[in-house]
Amino acid sequence: MKKRLYLELENCIGCRSCLAACTQCGGHEERNRNYVYDVNPMVNRQTMPLMCLHCVNPACARSCPAQAIQIHETGAVLSALVEKCIGCQNCTIACPYGIPKFDTEQNLMYKCDLCIDRTKDSIPPMCASVCPSNTLQWLTDEEIENKKKQFNLDNGKWVTSIPYLEGETNVKVNLPGILQGITKLF
Amino acid sequence: MQRDKFFKEVENVIHPNETLVKTHCAYCGMQCGMNLRVNRATNKIIGVEPRYDWPVTVGKMCPKGVTAYQQTNHDDRILKPLIRDDASLKGTKEGFREASWNEAYDLIVKKFSELQNKYGKDSLSVFSGVSMTNEKCYLTGKFARVALGTRYIDYNGRFCMSSAAGGFLRSFGVDRGSTLPWTDIHETDCLFIAGSNTAECHPTSMFRVWNVQERGGYIIVVDPRETPIARRADVHLDLKPGTDLALANGILNLLIQKGYADKEFINNHTNGFEETKELVKEFTPEYTSELTGVAPEKIIRAAEIYGKAPNAVVMFARGIEQQHKGVDNVSGYTNMALVTGKIGRPKSGVATFTGQGNGQGGREHGQKADLLPGYRKITNPKHVEEVCKVWKITPEEMPQPGVSAYEMFELMEQKTIRGLYLLCSNPAVSAPNLNFVRSAMKNLDFMLCSDFYLSESAEFADVILPSVTWSEDEGTVTNLEGRIIKINKAQEPIGESKPDWQIQVELAERLGRGKYFSYLKTAKDIADEFRLASKGGYADYYGATWDKIDKQDGVFWPCKDENDKGTPHMFLDKKFYHADGKAKICALPYRPPAEEPDEKYPLRLTTGRVVYHYLSGNQTRRIQFLRDMCPEPYVEVHPETAKIYNMEHEERVRLFTRRGEAIYKVKITEAIRKDTVFVPYHFGHEQSINLLTIAALDPISRMPEYKACAAQLEKVEIKKVQ
Ligand code: SF4
Ligand code: SF4
Ligand code: SF4
Repeated sequence: MKKRLYLELENCIGCRSCLAACTQCGGHEERNRNYVYDVNPMVNRQTMPLMCLHCVNPACARSCPAQAIQIHETGAVLSALVEKCIGCQNCTIACPYGIPKFDTEQNLMYKCDLCIDRTKDSIPPMCASVCPSNTLQWLTDEEIENKKKQFNLDNGKWVTSIPYLEGETNVKVNLPGILQGITKLF
Repeated sequence: MQRDKFFKEVENVIHPNETLVKTHCAYCGMQCGMNLRVNRATNKIIGVEPRYDWPVTVGKMCPKGVTAYQQTNHDDRILKPLIRDDASLKGTKEGFREASWNEAYDLIVKKFSELQNKYGKDSLSVFSGVSMTNEKCYLTGKFARVALGTRYIDYNGRFCMSSAAGGFLRSFGVDRGSTLPWTDIHETDCLFIAGSNTAECHPTSMFRVWNVQERGGYIIVVDPRETPIARRADVHLDLKPGTDLALANGILNLLIQKGYADKEFINNHTNGFEETKELVKEFTPEYTSELTGVAPEKIIRAAEIYGKAPNAVVMFARGIEQQHKGVDNVSGYTNMALVTGKIGRPKSGVATFTGQGNGQGGREHGQKADLLPGYRKITNPKHVEEVCKVWKITPEEMPQPGVSAYEMFELMEQKTIRGLYLLCSNPAVSAPNLNFVRSAMKNLDFMLCSDFYLSESAEFADVILPSVTWSEDEGTVTNLEGRIIKINKAQEPIGESKPDWQIQVELAERLGRGKYFSYLKTAKDIADEFRLASKGGYADYYGATWDKIDKQDGVFWPCKDENDKGTPHMFLDKKFYHADGKAKICALPYRPPAEEPDEKYPLRLTTGRVVYHYLSGNQTRRIQFLRDMCPEPYVEVHPETAKIYNMEHEERVRLFTRRGEAIYKVKITEAIRKDTVFVPYHFGHEQSINLLTIAALDPISRMPEYKACAAQLEKVEIKKVQ
């Protein structure tokens, strides 16, 4: 059954376990590939992960003059192929979220490949496996549908209900504020 | 066993030439399940893979857990025994030379014997810890009493769980950290969480915590800081550090006044209600607000939510326990559950977030100054007799009770204690009032330390023995639920390191006490003796065989025999462990913190953890990822306070109390009270915040008041180079 990475940003506790775990995936060369931001550190402890959204029509790949960024049949937008990447860094500029990282020593771009080693067999990626707060989850489309229903879409906080920054994405995101629509038990 | 909605059938990824070894994390009481990845060619641990099949944490880990495997083959490991001949170098890393085990053992035995011959048995002491297996904890207690014959043994749980233990014993007559399994937590309707920075200290509880809100339930958080969990709480009771008991009494008063008391439960299953009701009357919302600094409306709202909730769990941690009234705070918050009857059934109860991996098991089996295996009392002749039978000694040979952890340092200073065997602990960072503690350690005639890294405390030792990490030995630990689980060995000990139990058996033999120890050849041998020693005690592990632990995904104690499946929920029959079967509702007069702010020291200093480090940081500060994330301590200051002191973000300032001082970077944040400053405690040497903390001890638990003392900030003049 096809599963997707699903982000519930309101849950993030800033532990950066997702980053630590990223290094553990085979083929990641022990380097983490995503980001966690302190939203407003002098004011409160809100944090949020910034993960590659695995765009359906990815700007990073489109911008690559060497076709080094391949798209896997699962939809995962892979890290640059070592033999093709020419180190031009177009992708780092093209991505609206600033995801691709650049290794100046190897003159090579590297980015989240959604732990393709794992996700090709529907095993959750490392980040979603370990995330202690369920900010990062690995869900079926049906489960994501249920999430949509549960979180009262009318409050405008469901990201797929507002215009995309960069077209449709394989990863689904739920912005902070979703709890406002929840009916209390008593 | 229980598989809840978070459990998913997932296959693990196994790379070619690798084996996965099922085990649990090395660190906190959550004891998250994990698989260690072992390279089959080198037989070395090389990584981690989630353990999706562990029912409590379903694969989740915090960054400490994810990187824990990096400890095993770390460059800093001590690989051979170390001896330091020049005692003048104590308190530094200098002067150690490598030695053979034989030379080290000979020296230890010579020094121990000299001291005991000259100054008596009790001139030696053992200071241990609970980040190790039950088998090791059990044997350490036996080693102190039977091999060394000293009364002075205590452990770092005095700085961690002793107040929870004291409070639970008083309220329930038994000390199991949680009255319900963690797989119930997300199904309750209200979590009342006091003094727990859950998101940082027990992160893998968070998916369950958030789920309560997702279901429409409530979270109430009591904390002087707006921690990540407080940020999202329905009510955040932002009290002054050290005023918990007033808040607990205030809420209890409201619960009674507003009709949330469960009369039937109170009458049938508790004592002490009337007296307590009278005592808390004084704690009106206004008076409580005056003492705690929390707005009356918030207190009223919190009481209303907890009172109305069909099911609720009261939870707490070191924030309320590390006070000189920690035991009263525990019983005070526990009163809420007893008065409303929200206990002794699924989805309702009381729980403490156990700090150390084996904080629960390690305190039950005889490392505490006055306890013997199975939670037996060393002052109870019947209990002593039961344990003597297993140990094959006479009751006359059993030493008297000793003193608590901090008090042992006082005896070192006075030269009553002259020798120390320190293991699994780093008091040179984690004890309070460190100037005193460090000088007491320096004052010792002889100190043996066993550790796998050269900790700040090892710097005071004459001999260091290389012990193993959790991944190079096996045994059981008891997690924060009271569930006994199995730690498995993934790699052979590196270098010449040995597990602490083996060290103790070998030392005992050389001390002429071999007949009580030599037959313990494996961790399993110790497990079998230890189960027997606990049999019939409150914490009865007799039926918790390794086999059963494996088959059942852990066993909750008490587990009395082969057929007993264990006890996930406590008190389902509404029987508590006091002689009359009733719980005690405690009338607890309020006391302010031992040291209140004044003109000279106007700020309240409180301490705690960050998500990236564990306890004294001896392990986590060596892990690159964790060090990168949090390389040094800092002092959190509210912007308005910083303005008064004319301090900028990231500026280095001097923080001081009556006991000590340190220089810290300022971290300006609105997520803290204006009258309070916070410093994480994981750092050594001149960076230790415990140089400043106060050793005011709880009268029952002997827990120091880490969480509240009076402090002052000062700008550091930067001297211009001439
Ligand atoms: S692991 Fe989860 S909670 Fe932790 S920082 Fe990453 S997204 Fe946030
Ligand atoms: S988020 Fe950025 S890096 Fe990821 S697929 Fe889209 S454009 Fe590429
Ligand atoms: S430190 Fe605690 S929460 Fe983190 S992985 Fe280890 S056991 Fe789990």
